[in-house]
Amino acid sequence: MSDETGWRTLHRRVPLGEAVMSLAVVVPAVTGLTRFMLGEDFSPALTAAAGAGATALIIGAALCHGMIRLRSTRFRLTGERLELVSGTMVREHRSIPRDRVRSVDLKADPVRRALGLAVLKVGTGEHASGGKAELTLDAIAVREAEALRRTLLNQPAREEPEEPLARLRWAWIRYAPLTVWTFVGGALVVGVASRALKALGVEVFETRAAAQAWDWFTGALWLTIPLLVLANVLVGLAGAAAVYAQTWGRYRLEQEPGTLRIRRGLLTTRSLTLRESRLRGVQVAEPLLLRFGGGARVKVVAGGLRKDKDDESEDKAALTPPLPAAEAHRIAAAILREHALPLGDLRPHPRAARTRRLRSAALTVAVLAAALGATGALTAWIPGWAYAVPVAVLPVALWFAADGARGLGHLLGERHLVTRSGSAVRRTVALDRSGIVGWTITESYFQRRLGLLTVSATTGAGDGHYDVLDVGRADGLDLAARAVPGLLGPFLVGAAEAVPARASGDRIPQRSPN
Amino acid sequence: MSAELRPPRNQADPRAVGWWIAQNLIATVIVFAVAAAAYWIFTDRPLWLGVVIAALAVAFLAHSVLTPRFYYRVERWEVTDEAVYTRSGWLTQTWRVAPMSRIQTVDTARGPVQRLFGLADVTVTTASAAGAIKIAALDHELAAELAKRLTAITQATPGDAT
Repeated sequence: MSDETGWRTLHRRVPLGEAVMSLAVVVPAVTGLTRFMLGEDFSPALTAAAGAGATALIIGAALCHGMIRLRSTRFRLTGERLELVSGTMVREHRSIPRDRVRSVDLKADPVRRALGLAVLKVGTGEHASGGKAELTLDAIAVREAEALRRTLLNQPAREEPEEPLARLRWAWIRYAPLTVWTFVGGALVVGVASRALKALGVEVFETRAAAQAWDWFTGALWLTIPLLVLANVLVGLAGAAAVYAQTWGRYRLEQEPGTLRIRRGLLTTRSLTLRESRLRGVQVAEPLLLRFGGGARVKVVAGGLRKDKDDESEDKAALTPPLPAAEAHRIAAAILREHALPLGDLRPHPRAARTRRLRSAALTVAVLAAALGATGALTAWIPGWAYAVPVAVLPVALWFAADGARGLGHLLGERHLVTRSGSAVRRTVALDRSGIVGWTITESYFQRRLGLLTVSATTGAGDGHYDVLDVGRADGLDLAARAVPGLLGPFLVGAAEAVPARASGDRIPQRSPN
Repeated sequence: MSAELRPPRNQADPRAVGWWIAQNLIATVIVFAVAAAAYWIFTDRPLWLGVVIAALAVAFLAHSVLTPRFYYRVERWEVTDEAVYTRSGWLTQTWRVAPMSRIQTVDTARGPVQRLFGLADVTVTTASAAGAIKIAALDHELAAELAKRLTAITQATPGDAT
């Protein structure tokens, strides 16, 4: 499949794959056509013929498209670059330097898997606006994709797979339902399903059965509403478990020399390999419900890993499924190769941080209540009791304020700066100290009175900055000065003994190559 | 004993006060001209509303003329061989520092009003989307010279600035 200049083609089963996948279009199209023609009193024979014709046409078109793509696409790997020529009307020649490759993503849906194919995506992490940061080969043989992945990331040909950092335990599926989607999932499924059926011409809500069901429903509300809620939750549970199983089945997280590899997927398999040298840290995220259940998940902090545009549900930064918090902390520390980092045991922030949050929550509620009360008393726009709504929410607001303060914490590890904050989603971020490109320190009027400030480390990866919120003034400045020796120190006064002004010998230990 | 951030060494150009006042006045005049016109055309010209608008206008004018002096006192900057360091803000104070080795671009910019006062801003960016540092209202020759010096230092500093 390669000529003397090194140019290679896609796999010759690509057209076949496209033909099989076109069935997803054929089925609804032919169903719709049949219903329409039978409704207009065409004879069954004519209807069958039309259906067969449409099927042949669509599959033929898909085959042709696949053939053209197969013939017009060429790629090659030279010593320095990966090149791709594609397109018929507009020829496109793209090439990316091999040393810019940051990630390699292999994906195979059930159809491609059955045909022994995989889609390979090479990410460079470039932020170039407008320009694509990815190069996609759709599709090549699994074996070839695997070899290409190893070559692109400079990995030795084959070696005994080490014990993975983590692999799926099916007991973790208990964390799957701990999202909001579980509670709205059932209603969502019914909505989507009825729309899909409507597209096929079936009006679920207008059938006689639906009318009878509605009568029965309104006849015994005391029974039917709990039943409906129960059914909704059951469907949500089943859906969450199914999505978890499909997304995270066969999950393995492996640390190979210089790279990190995530493999997962029951039906559609994914394998994402990241170059470790581009990693700027990890994040342990605990959304509220998951936190109540004692779970967490691990994400990477790296440049150029934005959400996949054509697949919004997939977060490329995710490294693990929801799993027990202790396990998440162990995996995060292992990824950072800083095993002694106690991610679950950070230094708490002063009580003043709690005071500040409680005050601002109470103040917000008071202002809202006063505004609503005044409006209600003076005008007829809103009912007079509207002020009671914010007052009723006050306990919740105070709980979030206290919980947010409880979550604050920081730590300086050997190579990482760790900061934790958030209540609705509590995030513990460990940021590579050598990836910090500056500091922003802010002190509002109220913070100044309470002796607090916010230290924000700016970085080229992830969110662009990671904040240590409401830390004690001396503590925060000391933290920033020690995290990047020599940067903030020269601008500090009063702590010259504690912070060497120019600690040139005190470099941050770099991550060892491999 | 507690550590404090010391103020950066340099202040903005003294002409900055004039520039900020001019800028504030232009904005205030435009806003209140529109408000007065609306008052004249669209309302029955009740006295109380006229008084409110006039009082607001006086307050804003006073604010425009008086606050730039405070800003001049708090806006400070410093460039050492290792880093760029600035402080800004009055109620909420912000200190920013970026090391030379991580600076990616150095820009100077001059707005139309700013040009009348012979001033320019220098903006320094790093790889972070959140890390741009602005040194506001310098003498335009000083700004050009500073930009040149910063560019020279950052080019001489090894590293790919990420």
